[in-house]
Amino acid sequence: MTDKQKHLLSLGLVLIMIGLSIVMIFPIEKSAKLGLDLRGGLQVTYEAKDSPEVKVTEERMQQAEFVLNQRVNALGVAEPEIQREGARNIVVQLPGVKDPERAKEILGKAAVLEFAIVQDAYAAINDMAELNKQKSEGKPVLGPVELTGDKIKSAQATFGGQIGAQPIVNMTFDDEGAVKFGQITANNVNKRLAIVLDDQIITAPNIKGAIPDGKAIIEGIDSIDEAKEIAIVLNSGSIPVTLDILEYRRVGATLGAEALRSGVIAGIAGFLLVALYLLLYYQGLGLITWLGISAYAISVWGVVAAMGQFYGWTLTLPGIAGLIISIGIAADSKIIIFERVKEEMREGKTFRTAVDSGFWHGFRTSLDADLVTMLVMFVLFFVGVSQIRGFALALIVGLTLDIVIMLLFTRSSLGLLAQIWPIKSPKLLVRVGKVR
Amino acid sequence: MLKFDFIGKKNIWFAVSAAIIVLSLVGMLVIGFNYSIDFKGGSSSEVRFKKAVSVEDVRSVLKEQGLGDSKIQPIENIIGTDVGALSSTTKGTMMLLRTTELSSDQETELFKALDTKFGIADRKTMTVDASWGALITERAIYAFVAALVLLLIFITVRYEFKMSVAAILALFHDVIITAGVYALVGREVNPNMIAALITILGYSLYDTIVVFHRIKENSTNIVRTTYGAMANKSINQVLMRSINTSLTTLLPIIAILIFGGETLKDFAFALMVGTIAGTYSSIFFASPLFVVWKEAEPYYRNLKNKYGKEAIARASTS
Repeated sequence: MTDKQKHLLSLGLVLIMIGLSIVMIFPIEKSAKLGLDLRGGLQVTYEAKDSPEVKVTEERMQQAEFVLNQRVNALGVAEPEIQREGARNIVVQLPGVKDPERAKEILGKAAVLEFAIVQDAYAAINDMAELNKQKSEGKPVLGPVELTGDKIKSAQATFGGQIGAQPIVNMTFDDEGAVKFGQITANNVNKRLAIVLDDQIITAPNIKGAIPDGKAIIEGIDSIDEAKEIAIVLNSGSIPVTLDILEYRRVGATLGAEALRSGVIAGIAGFLLVALYLLLYYQGLGLITWLGISAYAISVWGVVAAMGQFYGWTLTLPGIAGLIISIGIAADSKIIIFERVKEEMREGKTFRTAVDSGFWHGFRTSLDADLVTMLVMFVLFFVGVSQIRGFALALIVGLTLDIVIMLLFTRSSLGLLAQIWPIKSPKLLVRVGKVR
Repeated sequence: MLKFDFIGKKNIWFAVSAAIIVLSLVGMLVIGFNYSIDFKGGSSSEVRFKKAVSVEDVRSVLKEQGLGDSKIQPIENIIGTDVGALSSTTKGTMMLLRTTELSSDQETELFKALDTKFGIADRKTMTVDASWGALITERAIYAFVAALVLLLIFITVRYEFKMSVAAILALFHDVIITAGVYALVGREVNPNMIAALITILGYSLYDTIVVFHRIKENSTNIVRTTYGAMANKSINQVLMRSINTSLTTLLPIIAILIFGGETLKDFAFALMVGTIAGTYSSIFFASPLFVVWKEAEPYYRNLKNKYGKEAIARASTS
């Protein structure tokens, strides 16, 4: 393959890359999965604390994460995200959540879940509000606590009953809980078992018979929503460690959209400033640079869109900051290469030979310079907290594409230009700086 | 070709660096940092009111809620109603409230009160526990140390150990100056700023790498001259690209400082200071430092004794 064919081939690859990026970008409104700082939502970072009885272990953290997951799923948020960070932190992100106050409440309940038998004198009261009222007045509504929520393995809201259309809650106890629950149900047939969360009676189903296998069904629920709430409550009881809120942020949708707009405006302005500067400074070659950074910008956007669609990567404000400043890095590498080519022409080489040796010399310099920044960004990505990782990842994407564009676009467009336009006098290309 | 004596006048540049670093240290130690709530614990809210309000108006409501000591500060941002169209600013309608750590109930109460009185269009609230800051600091220190070790190894492998140490010292130079500027101008130190500070480790190395790359290339061919003169020539050869790359790096950062919102500005300001410091340090700090150390090697010391005067004469005549 001749050099010319190689150059054309790599330019073709760049075109394919741009084509794919454009496919990913459109429609523009959906081109990136936006983080909650850009579309509004709620983010809570929890930290697990050791208590005298319970130490934080990996297993308990996984369980806590699982429980938070279930609570979040019950909220019906479109794309919730729950991530472990380090040994003790869990980050819950609820982008676009409609009612952040309620979400925070459900997530943050320091749940103490107990089971107790409703005393006979009050068993006829069906209204939970009334039962709770009597209870808060100090009346002996409930017997002693029979069982605590940490013995529940899981609870789900579903449809069941005789015709399969009634909202019910399935709950499963662990081995110890199953034995105890079997005893309680056997001893209290036809009494009501109150499910009490943080001293509030949530529901009090009737015990129809002894349940020895630890699998219970709560019936007689009015709606599936209520069933879901009960399931949430039952799961709440089983968070095995104490979770403290370490950081909490709530972003309104309007302010999020505004932040996105100012980010986009800053990005466009940054791009235009760099493009203008390069065009003024390099004139002829500037056009190549300009095409180069345009190709760069489109493919960065394409990659961000693709990562959003395939890997669920969300673009956040720090991410946008990373993308904007990476425009500068993309321009830097072109400058290094062009200055090198200019320098070699000053030494009397023709444009063609100068491009050949100048590119590789310049490329090695830029590669090293890109790699040191990338090294630091990898560190930041692995060590940083959630928001910062978005920034680091954006810069890693930017730097990688910068190297790709240098190899595929800058090299081949310079090479082709040198072949079709083998000028001896570099004056046209080198307007700034004396030519010897 | 531009000729400028970077290496010969090294003592002047070292003095300049020393002066700025001393000023930065004084800033950090005497004035101290303006830490965000991330380090002290507390709540911070950006509130967009439906109409313009004054700080006093807002304070009166906060006082009723027992939050009279809070910091209230108007925010002015350029906002676009549509992409590309700059139509208005948030003048008078946007306030930043920094209070003590609000509980869920307190938060609801406070914003209900503000909403009834002035009408809230939208808000952004962040509450952090004081231990959050400890976590951030711990992670930042890990990141800082890990990055420095990796850079030290990378530059040693690709270039040489002495360059590596000089580059790392230049990084300290840049980071201290950036932190010093934060202390001196009283800009808020928050996790984003710290991330930017760590980014500077890589970012401000860009120019240093460009210069060192050239010194390394030229060092294979030192004929009838000193190491210092060769290094000086190398710096002059790459000077224009150092200036150009710094400018193109700064342009998007400046765009963010003008048009970006508060979060973006956190990144941009630190990066701006770091980039400027990094450009200076690559030429005026890292390179002379490296040359001084390199010329302590017997071979180059001999060269210096032999050609030193000649090289200086050449540098000053051309």
